[in-house]
Amino acid sequence: MLDSLPYELPELVTRAPFDIHRSTVLPEWVDWNGHMNVAFYVTAFDQASGAFMRNMGLGRRYVDGKLGMTFVLETHVTYDREMRQGAPMRFATQLLERDAKKLHLFHEMFHAEQGYLAATNETIVMNIDYASRRSAPWPAPVAERLEVLWQAHAALRRPVKAGRVMGLSRK
Amino acid sequence: MIDLDLGAPLDRHRAIVLPEWIDWNGHMNVGFYVVAFDKATDTLCAQFGCGFEYTRDKIGMTFVLEAHVTYDQEVKQGDALRITTQILDHDAKRLHYIHAMYHADEGYLAATNELMLMNIDYATRRSAPWPDFALERIEKLTAAHKRLPVPRQAGRLIGIKKKK
Repeated sequence: MLDSLPYELPELVTRAPFDIHRSTVLPEWVDWNGHMNVAFYVTAFDQASGAFMRNMGLGRRYVDGKLGMTFVLETHVTYDREMRQGAPMRFATQLLERDAKKLHLFHEMFHAEQGYLAATNETIVMNIDYASRRSAPWPAPVAERLEVLWQAHAALRRPVKAGRVMGLSRK
Repeated sequence: MIDLDLGAPLDRHRAIVLPEWIDWNGHMNVGFYVVAFDKATDTLCAQFGCGFEYTRDKIGMTFVLEAHVTYDQEVKQGDALRITTQILDHDAKRLHYIHAMYHADEGYLAATNELMLMNIDYATRRSAPWPDFALERIEKLTAAHKRLPVPRQAGRLIGIKKKK
């Protein structure tokens, strides 16, 4: 485990859910159906995960400094409503669980002006040692922040769309 | 329509990891696994006449309702991918299936993607029953895939296991 990080960490946002991230549907994210393609919802959510990781102290400098990386192990998306080119997006992120190496996040994507829920994404992110490309415990200052965040998020109600198993419901 | 391929699983889709699919971790980014899988969905839909021409000719569309991805092993720029597809279930409007992505040369499983797809009426953009020509083929494909064991990655629940 890394005992420290050789850069200054950003001011910690403990507001729960974490609701800093904003983005816009890019032209190249739109497919032949005239809406944001399924894959780019995942890209947009991945950027929201990036915002959550930066808040923990794991931004670009973590990778560029060859200290470590974070890999997604698994992800689950519900596509609730279409998003068109140029649509503004607002994200809310809830920390559902954490352990020594992993995070379990739940993102909601909203149309930032019309307010509707466009999609949700549940995801598991793991800390990776840069040299070995294998899992490793969070650096100490990150683990410390994670516990502070956990205190803030643990009180939130579990989202209805978390923990879904896919299948056709039979009438 | 193209000839129906009743080989199970469907094993027609091939791709190469493009330079623009690589992220700062030096491997295919999580979003582009889904780009690759979505193109394999197009290959599947072409089997029952609901591919590109279906939308181009304003007959209908298919929308994904839900997706689950497991990222099993990294793939790098230029790697050859082989994607197989197994139909798990269907009803009058929906199709439930799972893709498996393999490194085509080394053979290892790189990722899986379980999906729920729905047929959409072109004009209303709302759900609609599969057209007869599609349903007939979907039923044949489903029957052919039924003998396959259900992959362990299907029906997964996301979570961090608690150690006691």
